[in-house]
Amino acid sequence: MVTPAAEWDSGRADTRVVASTIGAALPFLVLLAVGLTFPLFGGGYWGVIATRACVYWVLVSGLNLVVGFAGQLAIGWVSLLTLGAYTTSVLVAGNATPALAPYLALVIAAIVGAIFGLIIGLPALRLRTFYFAITTLGFATIVTQVALAWQSVTGGGVGVPGPVFPKPFDSQWGFYYFCFGLAAICTWMTLNVAGSRFGRALTAIRDAEVAAEASGIAKPPLLALVFLFSGAVAGVAGGLFASLQSYITPDAFTLDLSVLFFIAILIGGHGSILGPLLGTILLTVLPEFAAPLVAWSTFLYAVLLLVIVLAMPGGIAELLDFKNRRPLESGRAIVPRPELLPRVLGGPTDAGALTLHQVALSFGGVHAIDGLDLEIQPGQVHGLIGPNGSGKTTTLNVISGYYAQQSGTVRLNGVALRLLARHRRAHLRIARTFQTPRVVRSASVLENVMIGGTIDGEATFVESLLSLPRHRRDEAALREKAMLALATVGLERLAAGRADRLQHSELRFTEIARALTLRPAFLLLDEPAAGLSADEIGRLGALLVAIAKAGTGVLLVEHHADLIFDICHHVTVLNLGRMLAAGTPAEIRSHREVVNAYLGG
Amino acid sequence: MVESIVSTGLAIGCIYALIGITYNVMFSASRVFSFTAGMLGMLGGVLGALFIARLGIPLVVGFLLVLAAGAIFGVITEIVAVRPVLKSLDQHLYVLSTLALALMVQQFTAIEWGTEARPFPRLFDIARGGFDQQFWLPMLACIVVIAGLELLYRHTLVGHAFLAIAEDTFAARALGLPERSLRMASFALAGVIGALAGFAGGEMLLAFFGNAPLLTFYGFVPVALGGMGNNRGAVVAGLLLGLFQQTANFLVGGIFASVAVFTVFIIVLLARPEGLAGASAQRRV
Amino acid sequence: MPISAAEPLLDIAGLSAGYGKIGVLHGVALSVGANEVVALLGPNGAGKTTLLRAVSGLLPWSGRVHFAGRDLAGTSPRDTVRAGLAHVIEGHRVFTQLAVIDNLLLAAYDLSRGERTARVEEVFALFPEIAAKRRERAVALSGGQQQILAVAQGLVRRPRLLMLDEPSAGLSPVLVDRVLVVVRRLREAGTAVLLVEQLIEKALALADRVYALARGSIVLEAKTREADLPQRLEHAYLATAHRHA
Repeated sequence: MVTPAAEWDSGRADTRVVASTIGAALPFLVLLAVGLTFPLFGGGYWGVIATRACVYWVLVSGLNLVVGFAGQLAIGWVSLLTLGAYTTSVLVAGNATPALAPYLALVIAAIVGAIFGLIIGLPALRLRTFYFAITTLGFATIVTQVALAWQSVTGGGVGVPGPVFPKPFDSQWGFYYFCFGLAAICTWMTLNVAGSRFGRALTAIRDAEVAAEASGIAKPPLLALVFLFSGAVAGVAGGLFASLQSYITPDAFTLDLSVLFFIAILIGGHGSILGPLLGTILLTVLPEFAAPLVAWSTFLYAVLLLVIVLAMPGGIAELLDFKNRRPLESGRAIVPRPELLPRVLGGPTDAGALTLHQVALSFGGVHAIDGLDLEIQPGQVHGLIGPNGSGKTTTLNVISGYYAQQSGTVRLNGVALRLLARHRRAHLRIARTFQTPRVVRSASVLENVMIGGTIDGEATFVESLLSLPRHRRDEAALREKAMLALATVGLERLAAGRADRLQHSELRFTEIARALTLRPAFLLLDEPAAGLSADEIGRLGALLVAIAKAGTGVLLVEHHADLIFDICHHVTVLNLGRMLAAGTPAEIRSHREVVNAYLGG
Repeated sequence: MVESIVSTGLAIGCIYALIGITYNVMFSASRVFSFTAGMLGMLGGVLGALFIARLGIPLVVGFLLVLAAGAIFGVITEIVAVRPVLKSLDQHLYVLSTLALALMVQQFTAIEWGTEARPFPRLFDIARGGFDQQFWLPMLACIVVIAGLELLYRHTLVGHAFLAIAEDTFAARALGLPERSLRMASFALAGVIGALAGFAGGEMLLAFFGNAPLLTFYGFVPVALGGMGNNRGAVVAGLLLGLFQQTANFLVGGIFASVAVFTVFIIVLLARPEGLAGASAQRRV
Repeated sequence: MPISAAEPLLDIAGLSAGYGKIGVLHGVALSVGANEVVALLGPNGAGKTTLLRAVSGLLPWSGRVHFAGRDLAGTSPRDTVRAGLAHVIEGHRVFTQLAVIDNLLLAAYDLSRGERTARVEEVFALFPEIAAKRRERAVALSGGQQQILAVAQGLVRRPRLLMLDEPSAGLSPVLVDRVLVVVRRLREAGTAVLLVEQLIEKALALADRVYALARGSIVLEAKTREADLPQRLEHAYLATAHRHA
């Protein structure tokens, strides 16, 4: 059942998008309304609680990007709250410098927070998870101890008065609206990031790092941006916190507070803004309701954390994700629409061939690739077969830049590709899929495919943060391109669903859609037929033939002999890292040694 | 003065080294780092004070009870915080589940035992001074544990089974080894070692709930510097850490000593993320 | 419980298994009689390793697997070993940090001390080349010797059926023959063998019957003596696209 290309209506996709956006905005609008009208029904005491929740959320909104989106377990983030609080208070009190205006002090606290956010955060690039978590904890302890010791500036154990903001923010409700306003702005900004290529890139780094690299996403600059932003808002939150407390001492910044922030995000669910927001409100308010058990509040937080981790790792966000509870249609078939390819790929490239010349790579003492020559022409399907351990996947990894060869060259268009960082190959329009599909399970299928187009975005992080026009143009264009790619592989009806609800074969085609969104000059596929039914293999083959016809060079690493012999223009057989034979499928099919090697002799 | 720095430094270094070994034993059995190592050290001190000083239980019995409690908490860690999470896709969840467990126990202790540091009973009725028991008890504990582990790993079948599971858990399972019981036993052993560290160091560290985060961090430094799973590295690094900390204490005072330790730690880690000794036991490629 | 002459030692029917969402085996049927050597051949990715792992309990599976009359549904690897079914996994994965003798002693973990030492000596008698290195750590052995050690581990419990996953992988021809000689002697001594092998000629020379597995199903079952076997095998593997679309 193939509908003509003219029927592909992106307008229909747009209305669906608008409808779901309104649905997604509703909870925030409700919270906004409640927050704005709060003074009307909340008393003075609850006003303090509400203000505190806003202040905490300012910090948590930034930390959410670090923990919930980027997956970096920064447990000791309270250190930035401490720094922000003391910076603002000391500057306003004039202990170390002439007294400054509170707003200026707050800005400086943001800058200090950003710098230290970067300092604590960057070790994440080198250290494994647990190590990084411990270093952030250590940092938090250090900051508190320095605050205690540097008596001349911070007042030591005695502390320092917090800043008071000028009218109209000096009254309780005035200050509440100030904090609420900042909290609302932070919500808006982080929502913008979440719905931008930066937010998606963060989740890709968290859940599918190799796929992120293959899509051109560079981890260090992205994490640096996030730590800067997170640190800045944490610094601001610190200043607000100091003002709320009226007087700060080092023991106001306990480990408990750090844990609270962290748990709010976990309870909320990763990759969500609404979840951690609700989590923060919940955790701020909880001790008030558990009045007789106030001393137990951290204990309860810890119990809550354990329960969430064991029973509901998706947190509140997963609980509220109603649309992903509706059953998907059963008996769904993947029906690709190759005729859409020219629109997705944008016309043939003028790339020349991709050649390997005498490439060699060893691991330990094993020659994974031992002097290999290979040429992939644009517009052709090139098959790469061979027994286990013959070096097929390693070769693909070398071409995609995941491994660097130890000798020999890889050339594109005659130009040798330098051994650059892993994410650079995507910029050369070399895309790939993986032996086991690497997707962001908790994101939608569409979002996963949009990751493929990350490098084509032009808006900067700040433009995304503030939802400026270029960011919105980027998003609209990318969304359309990704939907087109999904339609091409035949999965557009599943675009809005979570990726982890898909069947294995659908995940494989999703990866292809993601690769197509990169508008690849070369597409490398690592055993895409594994786990597919015979029908699906046939459709995969037809799709790959069409992709080649549209001008892309396709490298197909496979075990399925039938697929290889059906669709390849050219086949190379590897054995023990060397080329055993190369030629057309017919030649290879009857080559005696190949038959043996293929059967595994 | 130098004498005091050296004896305090070595003694506290032994405590850190033992907590590092606790981390390592848990790591070898499950490839997971648990936040409960520091908590176990804290419990060793608090429960020792509780049983012996407050409840008046005789020394030996109290000591054995403390070790038993350590074993129990070790096993609880495995069942509650490690086992369910190893099965899931997100391997990083163990950081959170063990953190949650450690916090629960720590908070409970703060509430029931109090937030003040209480004194730990004097274990042997010998006069203070000189090379006092508060110094040689941790050192003795460290030596006993190292010798015991050596004996276990080299000369017993169970110890070999632990090593097998640490190296290649899939092959061990295929061979018919009772992987689950062995892992639980490893965690029980780790619990005993952690509790022993806290008990032996009780007089120095006092019975204090706040020892948990302290030991969590300072007990991890030997692991990070000595290499994951490398007990000998942990001991060397632990002793060096103890000496460095006491020297810094003496020279620049307590607060800046902590800053100094932390800074050195971070710098070494960033320069050599695998630790100074490099990663131990060959991983399968 | 006596097994009737008709019922094979290992009887598999309708076996399906996979990894997570990826289904690898679809309704496999296979049997091994006591005293038989059965070869399991097939191209890479067909599911041979998956099959062995399912049978020994390393992977969850559905279907029917009976061993010595006993239903293996839900049994752990430890229990299948106890029942007399040993699985030597691929890749000569021995415990490199332990001595050769300790590697073997671990294979007999559940036995009493006396029995353990006795069985280990039995196995050393079969493999003098590793007996000579009994105190050395396994890391000092060559790849081939490690593979022999792995096979030896499988034999310590005197299994009724030994499953070998590509024992020749990475071995020199001399060592390959060495291992296969042992396999032949095993059959003579009363142990059945299920052999997954890449080296087709050698496997056929040794086996009584052969199965071919491709794309998760059995595509061929035959006695090795049958004349046109090589062509039938090639056809079974490389059967190209004259299938229904």
